[in-house]
Formats: sequence, structure tokens, C-alpha cells
Amino acid sequence: MSALPHAAPAPQPTPGPKVRSGRIDLFLRFPRLRWLAERRWFQFAVVLPNLGLFLLFLSAGLFGTPVGNRNIIIVFVWILWWFLLISALVPFTSRIWCTVCPFPFFGEWAQRRALVQVRAVDPKKKKGGPGVVIGRNRYFGKNLKWPKALSNIWLQNIGFLALCTFSALFLTRPIVSVIVLGSLFVIATVLHLVYRQRTFCSYVCPVSGFLSLFSMASMTEVRPRDLDVCQTCTDKGCLAGSDKGWGCPWLIYPSKLERNNYCGLCMECVKACPHGNMTVNLRPFLSDGWLKGYDESYKAFIMLSLALAYSVIYLGPWAFLKDWANIAEKHDWAGFFTYAGALWALALVVLPGTYYLVVRLGRSLAGAPAGTTAPPTKDVFLGFAHPLVPLGLLAWVAFSFPLMLVNGSYILQVLSDPFGWGWDLFHTAHVAWTPVVPWWTPYIQVALLLTGLFFALRSGARHARRLFPGGARALRAFAPVALLLGGIVAGFFTLYVG
Amino acid sequence: MSAAPLQPPAGEDPERHGYAALVSLGCLLVFGGVGFAAGGASQPPRTRSIHVVAHQYGYEPQVIHVNRGDTVRLTFSSSDVTHGFYLEGYDLDVTIHPLLPTVDLRHPSQPGKVEQVKEVTFTASREGKFRFRCSHTCGFLHPFMLGELIVGPNRLLPASMGMLLGLVLGGLLGLAIQGRRSKA
Repeated sequence: MSALPHAAPAPQPTPGPKVRSGRIDLFLRFPRLRWLAERRWFQFAVVLPNLGLFLLFLSAGLFGTPVGNRNIIIVFVWILWWFLLISALVPFTSRIWCTVCPFPFFGEWAQRRALVQVRAVDPKKKKGGPGVVIGRNRYFGKNLKWPKALSNIWLQNIGFLALCTFSALFLTRPIVSVIVLGSLFVIATVLHLVYRQRTFCSYVCPVSGFLSLFSMASMTEVRPRDLDVCQTCTDKGCLAGSDKGWGCPWLIYPSKLERNNYCGLCMECVKACPHGNMTVNLRPFLSDGWLKGYDESYKAFIMLSLALAYSVIYLGPWAFLKDWANIAEKHDWAGFFTYAGALWALALVVLPGTYYLVVRLGRSLAGAPAGTTAPPTKDVFLGFAHPLVPLGLLAWVAFSFPLMLVNGSYILQVLSDPFGWGWDLFHTAHVAWTPVVPWWTPYIQVALLLTGLFFALRSGARHARRLFPGGARALRAFAPVALLLGGIVAGFFTLYVG
Repeated sequence: MSAAPLQPPAGEDPERHGYAALVSLGCLLVFGGVGFAAGGASQPPRTRSIHVVAHQYGYEPQVIHVNRGDTVRLTFSSSDVTHGFYLEGYDLDVTIHPLLPTVDLRHPSQPGKVEQVKEVTFTASREGKFRFRCSHTCGFLHPFMLGELIVGPNRLLPASMGMLLGLVLGGLLGLAIQGRRSKA
């Protein structure tokens, strides 16, 4: 049960400046931040209060009022948390939510049998003792490897789409939110006991899937400060662990990090690196410039489709569509299956299919110079799918903004009366429902969508130049995709301001 | 897969990204301005009487079209439970009771003051799209019960479409210019 004490002094950061272009090394700029990230208690200290809050939310969902807008689980999770997550945390701080996320708390505790300490193993005495030794750390539980066929985000794609099909239930009914959030706790715990480290977060958690996609746009990253240090490092503490930190729980190789997608910002690599070479950078928006596979591109299609569908259902005036989605109350099964079928078809067939055809058209228009061949369609498809990352993110922000402006006053109400039991803890329980500048909403939404389109076009243009060298070819290849992106935004404009 | 990490093509000048952004911004402003200017002329004002039926979770009519300057006279009924009618941008909040011939009218800017009226009248003085929402908790989907008041000429839509078109054309123009410069 004992963990190795922190015997050696903390390594000093490698001398700079070898910061990548456009990056600001936050650990060099703010040494206290580095000090904080290196504390073993750091993640525990930020997860614990969050865990307490979620247990409060679950209690309110179980024992509080069934009226959604009077219950803290609905108001804090689906209005406040969602808005902060999509509008602030993801665009600015990458997957910082994963740093504070309470869902893996119990599973990781069982897996490590430690809340704060590291279970380091002397490399010469790996055999014997309880549990399983991976790298230089000892773990408990089965620690099986996740099947290779599922080592992608397809499960998260389908899981998230399935969950979102029932959004009208969990967005409005506290008990359904309890079932959803409680299930995440249970599944996370079970998977931590069976599979190694953060398998749940990497491959199963439905929230993690879209965080991975949109964190590419984020203005924060964890990266090695100096790649030369990593290349000559024989210790590989970031991967194998050490007496100061666990080997990367997300099963990635931090010193080769090039994208934010699968980094959960747990800061274990910062602690474990013997050279103090891992750091947190501030960087330009949308610095991660490419998608790696169809699973990632489908996440982009699903997110954009959901933003569009939710804008129609929840921000539109069409009551019959709300009735179709609201199956538990209206019991219109034909309507529900029509809605669900249309949503799945849009996300999995119509949008990707249209995109594929348009990409093929662009590739054909671009042609290939004599003696050469055009780049593979898959490369072109994935390159031109990357613009959907900024567009999808900003579309979600545009969708979420009015929900916050209009329903924000519920936050004050449930703060004083979290269970809807008639309490008035902070004298705000009877604050009148007051939308905040709702008439600004269309202007804000237009500005957000145009920003998303700007970054989408910039991303597409970069991929066009990369895939089709020569200005005219790049232009011909990208023009159909640019028009499609414009058409998608025009659809949002029609919904929001038309 | 396979797509190589994205690197700028050899010889590409990063400053041209700024140039392309300026081209896009210029096109956005020009086309947006054209869209706004071409967004339609005001119609002579008239009086419109509209009966609004509220139900879980919507309104009939779900979209109300009027023109700027019109006098709008609204009467209400509810086909099921008590509902609200909070009109964004017009300082109106109405509570509609299912069995009463009158509604409770509040002006959010004057808290505490409630009038019982049979009809709510206002002048559509601001153009654009304004949503009306239920302001009285009426069921599970209450926060999403809404309708739309569109006061013409709704110039934000053509202006937005113009900006969108400008951005797309500007982006493509920037790409073409960058290609020519690379060749040069």
C-alpha cells in the first residue's frame, strides 16, 4: 500500500527558448502554475469538490422536484455546465474538464489503490507483489488491454448520438439525468476495474468523444518543451511512469504529442518527466490541423448534425417536432421514430454522403498534372473534413448561447433551492425568470457562425494547398467544399435570423 | 490513416494568411453592406389582429409576420394549462389562463405591476426576429416552448447572407491570390 516518497528534488525546466512558433510557455511565464501542476494532490484537489457537487446533483435528481427548471441537476448540468464547457472550457482550455471530471474517480481509486500517491516499482524488482506492474507503476484490477478493433472513437460516436436522441428526456427530467450521469459513474468504475488506466475515457465516455474533436481548436496544449530532450531521453517517465507520476493514464506517448485529441490534461507527464520538459502552452485557435481517421471525421459530422437538429427542435417554433422528440410524455411513437431516423440519417448518411460527393467533385475538378496522380480520396476527404471542427464548435456555441441568456436566471433560483423544496438559502429562490438581452441573440449567433466559417475556410484552404499544390488546382478542389460549408451556415442563418 | 501532419507548403509566407484574412474581411463587409441595403423597403403601417392559442409546447400561429410600424393587437387562449407569452424586445409578458377571458399583462421593466386585459396592443417598432416564450412553467418541455415574431423588413437575414457569401468568395479569392504569389 505504500508509495514511494518524493525523494529527489523537482527537476528544473529545460532551458528555453525552444518554444514552437506562436506558443507561449505558460510554465515559464507563470512558474506557480508549474508548481501547482507538479503537486501530487493537484488533481485530487480539483476532482473532490466536483465529485461532491455531482453527488449533490444526483441526490437532487433522486429526491428533488421532478420539475426540470426547478431542480439543480437540470439547471446546473444542462444549462450552466454545458454552456461553460462548450463556450469557454473547450475553446480556451482544451480538455480541462477531464482534469476535474468526477466520473472516473472511484474506478481510478480502485485501480491505483491510491488517491494521491504514486505506486512506483523498482525496475529491478518487477516480479512479485500484488497487482500488475505496467512500466514503473503498480496497478490493481484486471488491467486488460482494450480490443484493438475498438481502439478508436466509433463507440463514442454511436454512444453520443444514441444518448442525444433522447435529449428531450434527460434535458428536462431530473430522474433521467440521474440515470444518465449515474450510469457514467458505474460504467467508468467497472471498466477501470477490467481494463487498464483511462480506457473508459479514451474509448467509451460519450462526452470524451466530442471533447477530443473540439479540443483540436483549443488555445491550450500540453506538449514537450524541447523535442531534442525527448529524443535523447532514455527514461521515458512520461510513458512508463516514475516515482513522481503515473505513466500516461490516457495511454498516449506525451513526448510525441502533436494534437490535443487524446490528452486529458491530468498533468501526470509533467510530474513524471525527469527533465521537467513537459509544459502547458498557450497557442493560436485551431492549431491542431488534421483529422486522423474516419472515426474522427464522423464525430465532426455527428456534432454538426446535432447542432442543426437541436436548433430546429429546441430553438425553433415547431411544436410537432418537440412532441416527436418528447416521447415519454406524448407517446407518439411514429413521430419519435421519424425524428430519430431523420437525425441518424442526417448524421451518418446525408451529411457525410453529401460531403463525400462534394469532395469527390472538387478532387475531379482539380485534376492531376501529367505524370502524376491525384491524392487519395480518403486523404482529401479527411483534409476537407477538418474545417468541420471549427464550424461545428462555433455552431454549438451559437446554439448554446441563447439557452444560457434565456434560462440563466434559473441558476440563481436553484442555487437557493437546489431540490425545489421551497428553501431560500441565499435569498435568490424567488428571483423572477428574466432572459438577459435575448434580442441580441441573433446578432451573437451570426457573429459566432461567421467566425466558425472563417476558420473553416482557412483550414480548408490550407489543406487544399497541401493536397493540391498550385493555386488553380487548390482553388478548384476547395471551391465546392467552400460552397457546401457556406450552404450549411446559410441553413443555420435561416433558422436563427430568418 | 495516413494524412501527413499539416505543414505549410514549402516557401509559403505566413504573412499571406493575414493578407487572405484581410481579403475575406473586406469581401464580408462589402457583401454584408449590399445585403443590408437590398434587404427590402418598409411597408405602410397597418393594424393586425391576431389570436394566439398556447398549448404544450407551442403556439398557433407559431410564426407571426408583421411590418415595422404595424399596430399589433393580440388576443390569447390556452388549450390546456396556464402558459406565458414573453415577447423578447417588446417588454411584454402575458400569463394565459385556460378558462379565463382575460390575461395577466406585465411589463418586465415595471416589476410588480399586473393588469387584467382582454387584448394586448403594441406597435412593432423594432425590426428583426423576436421569439416569444412561455414564461409560466407548464410542463417538461416548458423551457423550449416558443414562437417567432418577425418584423419586416428583417434586414439582418440578407445582411448575414451577404456577409456569408462575401466570406466564402473572399476565402476563395485569397486562395487564388496566394496560389499566384506562390508561383511568382
